[in-house]
Amino acid sequence: MIPSDLQKTGAMTPDPIAADLLAADLIAALARAAGLDKALAAFPEDVAAAAAQALATTGAIRVPVDPAAEPWPPMRPGIGL
Amino acid sequence: MTAPAPHWLSASEAARAFAARTLSPVELLTALLARIDALQPTLHAFIRLDAEAAMDAARTAERELAARHVRGPLHGIPIGVKDIIDVAGLPTTCHSAILRDNIATADATVIAKLRAAGAIILGKTATHEFAIGGPSFDLPFPPARNPWNPAHHPGGSSSGSGAGVAAGLIPVALGSDTGGSVRNPASCCGIVGLKPTYGLVSRRGVFPLSYTLDHVGPLTRTVADAALMLDALAGHDPADPASAPSQARLFGRELDRGVRDLRIGFVRHFHETDLPAHPEMTAALEEAARVLQAEGAEVRTVTLPDLTEFAGVNRVILTSEAWSIHAPWLRARPGDYGQLSRRRLLPGAFIPAGDYVGAQRRRTQMIAAVEETLRDVDVLLCASSMDPASRIEDAAETARTYPRQARTPFNVTGHPALAMMAGLSRDGLPLSLQFVGRYFQDATVLRAAAAYERATDWHIRRPPIG
Repeated sequence: MIPSDLQKTGAMTPDPIAADLLAADLIAALARAAGLDKALAAFPEDVAAAAAQALATTGAIRVPVDPAAEPWPPMRPGIGL
Repeated sequence: MTAPAPHWLSASEAARAFAARTLSPVELLTALLARIDALQPTLHAFIRLDAEAAMDAARTAERELAARHVRGPLHGIPIGVKDIIDVAGLPTTCHSAILRDNIATADATVIAKLRAAGAIILGKTATHEFAIGGPSFDLPFPPARNPWNPAHHPGGSSSGSGAGVAAGLIPVALGSDTGGSVRNPASCCGIVGLKPTYGLVSRRGVFPLSYTLDHVGPLTRTVADAALMLDALAGHDPADPASAPSQARLFGRELDRGVRDLRIGFVRHFHETDLPAHPEMTAALEEAARVLQAEGAEVRTVTLPDLTEFAGVNRVILTSEAWSIHAPWLRARPGDYGQLSRRRLLPGAFIPAGDYVGAQRRRTQMIAAVEETLRDVDVLLCASSMDPASRIEDAAETARTYPRQARTPFNVTGHPALAMMAGLSRDGLPLSLQFVGRYFQDATVLRAAAAYERATDWHIRRPPIG
């Protein structure tokens, strides 16, 4: 569905209520995909706060652009490999 | 000079008193139990006391001493154990309704090692739920409180261990540290908290929070006791996949060497610009640098990656790994968690795998940056907490101040780090500092801390709690 403000003006302007609804729908979908139906029903504010925290936290990291930058801990063969 | 009351003896002092026959293990335990009886209703440091078994062990220790049989350096010393660490036959509840009936079937490796060194397990101490929540009032047990002022929190997550040691309920205790949880209560309660090098102390039998960030370490009232505990705890454990093949021993061997030939890097930007500290904390850190310089150390300013990015990397890794542990319970029993821990564990459900790997890749770079700095200096000096402990019932202020800390960098890098008292605020609450060293040079960290301890008198201050 085309947002109402886009239909009128042809330009996308932020609609906070629609954005919140979209975000809430997205969070609910992600929570259900993670199997959190019970938490979503009983503690919707906690689920929303957790999603917001996850977004804020991942945005604070400068992930290396060099593909050769490997993760910690180093991969190493163990017994049986 | 009057001898200190038994409950204020350090573990090292108590061991010397046992050897001199001026105190017995039963007398020490009796004094501690009386003090716990008086202060536990205020401090809630313990979730569960195992007084009967402890007294049996103290009687055995006393008989062995009479027969000149000393099991080890902690012979007859009572310890408190954070309730995420398994003690055979006792519940490991993690301070949570989720595990209220979880009876440990075997000792964690650290408990087996402490018993082998002669220690007596006195009980399980309060923690933030699963070592991640915060001071909470919606859990099966009340939160521990700060002996310097019970209206304030004692830090966490090893909160009962910190409160119990600071209040003289136990001389030493065990905690765990994933984002600072040994060093935070040490900072808030004015004692010593050591997070050893990653891999030096086994985590087998300790309920995990984050596999690549978890450490186990001691909380003590003196630096010498931290070294004594580390001597008992350190060593390779094939049952812990992260355990290092270290042969390091005698961590107190350099305690008397002073800092005359040490180069100390002072990480000022942590508390000056990254997370500007409370003015009294800043003053305490500057004074500590001055004291160390006066003791003969070369103190120079150094720069590490930004504190907020360290915190971000820690948080992404921690919540992702914790989600992999807690997901089944969060799906089936979300109401059995307290709200704080539920809110801190759920974000893991929303972090994509790529972001987790990205954080681990950035972690490698951050480790390299700290290693580069530690090529030019022997030890780092920096803030631990940016503020004194807030009032425990002021949830907003606690939420504001808890993340204002400089401990997570060294969970991310795995370097050894020690927090200790560095002053008292005008309100009578402990101020703190942190020393950090090179991998497996925990002895050098202890050496710097011991020199600071000798040059100041903070370690002999006692909370006004009786």
